[in-house]
Amino acid sequence: MKMMKRTKLGRYIPGTSIIHQLDPRTKLLGWLAMVTAILVSYSWPVLLLNTALIFVVIYLAQTSLSSVMRGVKWLWLVFICSFLAQCICTQGAPLFNLGPLTVTVEGVYRGLSTFLRLLILFLSSTILTMTTSPMKLARGLEALLAPLARLGVPVNQFAMLITISLRFIPTLLEEAETITRAQKSRGAPFTSPKKLVRLKTSLAVLIPLVVGSLQRATDLATAMESRCYSGGPHHSRTRKLRFYRCDLAALCVSIAVSILPLICIYGLDLPVQSLQGLR
Amino acid sequence: MQGILLSNVTKEFTGVQNSKTCALKDISLHIKPGEFVGIAGKNGSGKTTLARLLNGLLLPSAGKVTVNGMDTRARRHIREIRRLVAMVFQNPDNQLVSPVIEEEVAFGPENLNLPEDEIEHRVEKVLQIVGLSELRQMSPHMLSGGQKQRVAIAAALAMQPDYLVLDEPTSMLDQSGRQMILEYLQILNKQQGLTIILISHNMEDLTGADRLILLQEGSILCDAPPWEAFNRGEKHLDLKPPGIVLLAQMLRKRGYLLDKRITTLEQMENSICRLLRSTT
Repeated sequence: MKMMKRTKLGRYIPGTSIIHQLDPRTKLLGWLAMVTAILVSYSWPVLLLNTALIFVVIYLAQTSLSSVMRGVKWLWLVFICSFLAQCICTQGAPLFNLGPLTVTVEGVYRGLSTFLRLLILFLSSTILTMTTSPMKLARGLEALLAPLARLGVPVNQFAMLITISLRFIPTLLEEAETITRAQKSRGAPFTSPKKLVRLKTSLAVLIPLVVGSLQRATDLATAMESRCYSGGPHHSRTRKLRFYRCDLAALCVSIAVSILPLICIYGLDLPVQSLQGLR
Repeated sequence: MQGILLSNVTKEFTGVQNSKTCALKDISLHIKPGEFVGIAGKNGSGKTTLARLLNGLLLPSAGKVTVNGMDTRARRHIREIRRLVAMVFQNPDNQLVSPVIEEEVAFGPENLNLPEDEIEHRVEKVLQIVGLSELRQMSPHMLSGGQKQRVAIAAALAMQPDYLVLDEPTSMLDQSGRQMILEYLQILNKQQGLTIILISHNMEDLTGADRLILLQEGSILCDAPPWEAFNRGEKHLDLKPPGIVLLAQMLRKRGYLLDKRITTLEQMENSICRLLRSTT
């Protein structure tokens, strides 16, 4: 379990809250609606409504804000840098001067809205993966993408790919640790002050890991083949996804908050205008 | 014809620069339903090749392999053959597909396109057989090696096979995990009537077999009851017999008239008791 500690960012935390119990498809669609809304629109009502919604979701998911924010210190740096850059680089009515640089009113607005957009983007993704087990997420994705199978997109193989990756991540982490320890015990300079030496040392871990993975892949393929796997669809799954009334309610809220304001503001020729807005 | 039948099977592999290595030479063998067959031999003797021929993972270069009368070379039979002849491999980590145990077990039946409630029924049943019902929601990487191997066995059983082929299933396990797997195999064979084909280089694993096949450089050296095969293996292949067989040999050398066929602790106990009773 100790290696799981490393993957803090967005790690699934089991729980029984209403957000945890929602169908993964609902959560994926809600996330998609929100992300679309904030990427398409700069307008304040949209941004503020979505910000409010994401904090309500965090509250309902019974996860403390600090646990969501933890492990993202470097992200704040990105937020602040982008805010500052926007403040300075945008043309418009000058607010005040900082030496040769001019901070403009439009710049501050732009910066603030970029900051909010990044925050929503980050929070919504984190809360999605924190409240949905990877397996359910893969299921939801498979179910949502299922119609694409008719167009010849290999959705089932894609789902299998995700499933196997999820299965082997802990195994590979364990193996990486074993190799690292083996190299350390033979005096590999993992903590050398020289960057180049450290880089070379980590290569010495990476190469056996890759070679080992190829062997694993061969073994796994044999095992799957001997269990009649032929790459076809899995019609029946042990735990089917179920869509409840609260899922419907959640979807309604999500559409009301994320999508409706867009339509109200832009009308129906939204895509054209937003594209112009981007330029 | 019921059972797995190999007639004059040869398997060659093409290596670098078209050099051919012969893994199995002219093997003929009949595995009957309900048997517990052990296969032993040194590294490179063709044990794994033999196992993979049994369910059509490999096809013979010459000769024929049939499972319940179906030729493994016929593509239309291959699904049914793989269902009938289930396999468990050496490394428990490399044969589990799913991050959740119950889904792992359901993987085979899903590939057979069985109805949902039938799959659910089978998952429940086989997890009970291997004693892992409480762990069905867990992830395989949280289990011990022995438990993982039991999941692999459960996953194989969920296909309701007639034959279970295990390719060195215990070699990566600790002592208790090994013991447990061997006990389950005995139960499956004796109580459920499942045909077991157990491959191992550790002779201790094979004491419970009805029949032991020794391979030497791709040929069958002997196909005999374990007690006989242990002696032959020691003489010709330098394979160390199980401790209990060695003990019997030592005692015989000292002049105690113990039964030649002793391979298990139980038989040894009975034999010694008989000996003691006859001397007093």
